[in-house]
Amino acid sequence: MTRELQIVGLRIGRETYGVPISLVREIVRVPEITAVPNAQKYVEGVINLRGKIISVVDLRKRFGEMDVENNKKNRIVVVELENRTVGLIVNSASEVLKIPPSDIEPPSSVFLNGEIDYVTGVGKLNNRLIILIDLNKVLNGGELRHLDEVDSPPVEHLA
Amino acid sequence: MNFFPDERAAELRELFFESAQELLQDLNEAGLALESHPEDAEIIRRVRRVVHTLKGDSAACGFRELSTLAHEMEDALRADVIHGIENSVVEVIFTAADTFQAMLAAYRLNVAPPAGEELREHIRRIARSPQQARPAPPPAREPARKFDWSEAQRERIAESLSRNEPVYNISLEIDPAMGMHAAAFQLVQKVLRNVGAVLAVYPVDAAAAEYASHIEAAVATDHSKEALTAKCKIPSVVSSVALERISEAQEPSQDLLEVLLQAEARASGIEPAAAPANRRDAPPPPRAIDESVDHEKAAARLTADRTLRVDADRIDTVLNLIGELIIGKSMLHRTIIEFDKRHAKDPLRTRFADALALQSRVLEELQRSVMKIRMVPVEQLFRRFPRLVRDLSKSCDREVALSLAGENTDLDKGILDALAEPLAHLVRNAVGHGIETPDERQAAGKPRSGTVQLNAYHQGNQMVIEVSDDGRGIDRQKLVQRAVERGAISASEAAALTDAEAARLIFQPGLSTADRVTEVSGRGVGMDVVATALERLKGTVEIESAPAAGTKFRLMVPLTLASIQALLFRIGGRLYAAPIANVLEITRVTNADIHHVDNHSVIRLRDQLLTLVYLEQPNSAETLAAKKVFVVVIGLGDRKFGLVVDALMGEEELVIKTLDDRLSTSDIVTGASILGDGTVVLILNISALAARLGRMPALGAIA
Repeated sequence: MTRELQIVGLRIGRETYGVPISLVREIVRVPEITAVPNAQKYVEGVINLRGKIISVVDLRKRFGEMDVENNKKNRIVVVELENRTVGLIVNSASEVLKIPPSDIEPPSSVFLNGEIDYVTGVGKLNNRLIILIDLNKVLNGGELRHLDEVDSPPVEHLA
Repeated sequence: MNFFPDERAAELRELFFESAQELLQDLNEAGLALESHPEDAEIIRRVRRVVHTLKGDSAACGFRELSTLAHEMEDALRADVIHGIENSVVEVIFTAADTFQAMLAAYRLNVAPPAGEELREHIRRIARSPQQARPAPPPAREPARKFDWSEAQRERIAESLSRNEPVYNISLEIDPAMGMHAAAFQLVQKVLRNVGAVLAVYPVDAAAAEYASHIEAAVATDHSKEALTAKCKIPSVVSSVALERISEAQEPSQDLLEVLLQAEARASGIEPAAAPANRRDAPPPPRAIDESVDHEKAAARLTADRTLRVDADRIDTVLNLIGELIIGKSMLHRTIIEFDKRHAKDPLRTRFADALALQSRVLEELQRSVMKIRMVPVEQLFRRFPRLVRDLSKSCDREVALSLAGENTDLDKGILDALAEPLAHLVRNAVGHGIETPDERQAAGKPRSGTVQLNAYHQGNQMVIEVSDDGRGIDRQKLVQRAVERGAISASEAAALTDAEAARLIFQPGLSTADRVTEVSGRGVGMDVVATALERLKGTVEIESAPAAGTKFRLMVPLTLASIQALLFRIGGRLYAAPIANVLEITRVTNADIHHVDNHSVIRLRDQLLTLVYLEQPNSAETLAAKKVFVVVIGLGDRKFGLVVDALMGEEELVIKTLDDRLSTSDIVTGASILGDGTVVLILNISALAARLGRMPALGAIA
């Protein structure tokens, strides 16, 4: 029985990243963010989500996206991971994608290189490529590199 | 059927683990008590009761290995076991406590429990020892029981007396050479039944008699004293007979011993036909529990009825909801202030204000009550230390007395639990490092036995726990030398350290002054653990140490982790809060007052230098020059520094929300809170800020 995967598509720059819908609790507009001094660079700060304080990570900065201009389309995707709730700022998030497992390819060897091992697969949907990511790895790892940089032979980037 | 059986069983098991923990604590305490009062048979009885309860409870939960072992232990603890080698009994009790603990831990993890062979070995030894320990009992040996009849038995005796029947208390010593006590008991019982009406007998039955060395009975009979004595003296079964006529049913008489008659008896076996029941299958051994114990139990049951065991999570949920309510209250408060401004003449205003006042009063009361539920006396934490100190002092050949004070001080359960480990480290250090060996102490003119003291008290909104010893104190020179060797500080820094700062080096990870690593201490992880644990609790630790006079650690923790009274201020457009307990004073200085010394900004405050801390780098020189700034003087134990803030926003009670994920945790922020208008305020980690000062002397007098 092959059931199609339900994926929430997150727009960051030109790319669409996908996370399983089961992890996504809600999607909210970007409220006022309180920056935390001395926190990690890609952590924007904390927000008050109906009485609960959650950390907000700017996924755009995390993935090295240059376009971090804030506009009305920006959203915070609230995800639940291993008993913690984290908000992710993305350029936009609105679509739920259904991808049959047969259309998902395992990550190419390029992705398996240390620093971007957060890619779990690439889904194909109507000529679009959806990059499926493991949020735990995204949020736990150190600094990340932008995918574009890895298009050329990755060895240089490992130095 | 409201409950799923599985859920029910799990709940039951959880309850068992809880109560078993208390039972083991009782066991440990009884062991310690027995060590100091080796002759007290009541303690043995107490131990047996505890083990008995443990046996029953564990059997009910299906923990068969534990209940079997507890059963064996209970069997071995006859009342007369005490007359064996006292210390071995104490050892058995402690071994049992440890073994049961290990088994419980295994059950909790759903793994196979340890076999407890060591305990079995101990049990076997004491089970044998009484006979070996006293091959020939002294002639005037006191029987363990002296007609300590139960209420029902006494009533029966009184009834006989009221019919003017002569009633005798008879005590028969079973011949030590007679192997089968149960058989002897049956024989004696038969004889007694022949002479008259047996009103009461101890032990209760043959199986129980197997462990008794003497038999007691109350008999109503027309025979004379002499005839009775002669009848009871069964050759080679009963070695001595004592009897006394009861004049009225009252407390047993001590004079009984005076009529103790000696009888000679030759050893010879008895027919094994009357062989006793198998020990393993024997019902609970002699119930030496008298009615006073029953009263005790009834009282305990009464309090148990009035006590609820509640999962701490449930209370936390309530507390969290109250936290939300408090936020809601301040939202309402702000809205009403806004309303006041817009509709200054509206009569609704006063009604709003009244409602709000009522609501906040009730809310405050509610919060206090729920918080009180979470409070438990520090005794719960302290009571595990006597055993620890005993074991430690034995293993390091020290003589150490532990004194406890302030056990009734209340503290939040969560904080209490978190303090257990650091306190254990401190106590271990005090015994292992602090207290000298008895010989060293004598040479130094101190009493041979050292003292470790645990003391707890409230101080303002904080709880203080002191761990002090009268040992050798911290060797400053050695400590600094180690720190330099390990590269924690440079030699020049070392020279500039004040005593207090030098003592703080002890909290450096991996630093130990012990020359060798022992099982007890010396690995240098302990103090590190203390520092980390206290930081997590938003607490502080101070050290006072004097060479040859001892060391005192003072742990200070907030009474609750749920909320704090905090001072709110703005730095660089952001809102921050600091616990009001740490704010000593607030002062205002112009930039001309700020001096720059060696990369540090300092001000002069009443003839003392105060180092300033900037949370954010001042963006330009002119803003620096233009403004007058507020300096919040923050005290942390013996350290003191000034935090430069842009504006003060007032004081407020903040419900602490932990930043539970590691993402936004930064070293200088410990938590956050939400104000009434929804604004997030960050709560500063004072000890991390203090650490920013580096090893610069925070406070120095102006010469």
